[in-house]
Amino acid sequence: MKPIFEHYCEIIPDFRLFQEYLRKPIPTHIRINTLKIKPDTLLNSLKKNGLHLKSSNKKYDTLYHAPGLNLSGNLLEYFLGYVHPQALTSCLVSIALSPRHNSYILDMCASPGGKTSHIAQLTNNTGLIVANELYPARHIALGHTLDRLGVLNAVITGYQAQEFPLKHRFDYILADVPCSGEGRFRKTKETAVYRETRKKVRLPDLQKKILLRGFDLLKIQGEMIYSTCTFNPDENESVVNFLLENRDADLLPIDLGFDYEPGVQEWKNEKYDKQTQRCARFYPHRINSVGFFMARIGKRG
Amino acid sequence: MAREDERHHLFSFLEERFGIPEKLFDDYLLFSREKSWTLIRNGPHVISASQLKVSKVGLRAFKRIGRFVKPTTRMIQIFGSFATKATVKINQEQLSRLLEGEQFPVQLDLDQGYVILALDDGRILGLGLLIKENIRSQLPRKEIRQCMLGE
Repeated sequence: MKPIFEHYCEIIPDFRLFQEYLRKPIPTHIRINTLKIKPDTLLNSLKKNGLHLKSSNKKYDTLYHAPGLNLSGNLLEYFLGYVHPQALTSCLVSIALSPRHNSYILDMCASPGGKTSHIAQLTNNTGLIVANELYPARHIALGHTLDRLGVLNAVITGYQAQEFPLKHRFDYILADVPCSGEGRFRKTKETAVYRETRKKVRLPDLQKKILLRGFDLLKIQGEMIYSTCTFNPDENESVVNFLLENRDADLLPIDLGFDYEPGVQEWKNEKYDKQTQRCARFYPHRINSVGFFMARIGKRG
Repeated sequence: MAREDERHHLFSFLEERFGIPEKLFDDYLLFSREKSWTLIRNGPHVISASQLKVSKVGLRAFKRIGRFVKPTTRMIQIFGSFATKATVKINQEQLSRLLEGEQFPVQLDLDQGYVILALDDGRILGLGLLIKENIRSQLPRKEIRQCMLGE
């Protein structure tokens, strides 16, 4: 059987197990929305209806695998805004950002709104979130998600992320940028093939522009997360390295209570700043979720 | 931003009809659009964001339907727990009937108009309409059926 993403065999540890997980479906995972319900109340109510959720990590009372559920949208609790179907690694992004209450926050690429609504949850609807999304057609889905989940502290804008106006600075910024999406790929059907396109080759250039603009929009002592759902170092460490070369940025440690691999130090003859070790690579065979990359970035005073 | 009289008109309606205190909204700003009103938590950052070109502010809270104004399902799901009157508890069977487009009779000492629909266990679904001692659904039927029945 031909390995998938063979070109990463030297940077992804336990590559055989990684291959096995790429042939399994991504498990259904939900986040409990504490803006509308207490976790215990929801868990008891679902239990009465025969649905048992499995905690993703004892540290978090809102993150659960739902093994008996194929589509978590098919629940009355979804309509009520009590739960949101969201991959575990997607949930970890907002937790890594860990915004304080009453902060001014920018989500640069916000649609469909899962991470934005999670940020609202973590801030308990205090402060203000600017949920930016370039494509107007995606504003409908974004607004719908935020309304369903009871978000009362967000506005939606439609700027190009890399040209977001430099009018004022933010305490926290999330740059969950457009990426090749390799981390979402699973070969669960014989016909499934991961396709590279020319458009994807151009992504790193856009990602660098977005990250630089995000950093420039950050207040002194502010923090941001750069994240993708791809394994490709050209879209990950290389982009972060570009920021470190061009701005006075610090990479901050990430401690979420889940196993991850540190960022790679070199790729295709390009050597990266030592700080990129502080990036986090989440692999499907380590966390049983979508493959993810995160860098937590601080702006020095 | 909505005018003060507009704001009072909408929030006093919630208080008069459902007993949801108008004061509850003191910390919120209300914005009016052509056919709807949106609600957002007030705070120092709202002024900063007003310099941006914004396509949607906060939660869609009320919409205009002809001559009437209707609170949205999401607005009621959030603030309906503060209601002290005009709330009707229904069971799963009654909910299913409403979602089929049927209505069911009730005996309530209440003028015709909107009522809050809640399940037996207190979970708030959204709004119903009381007309001639019958309850009709004002819930987004397609959306809720998709969730419950996977249609």
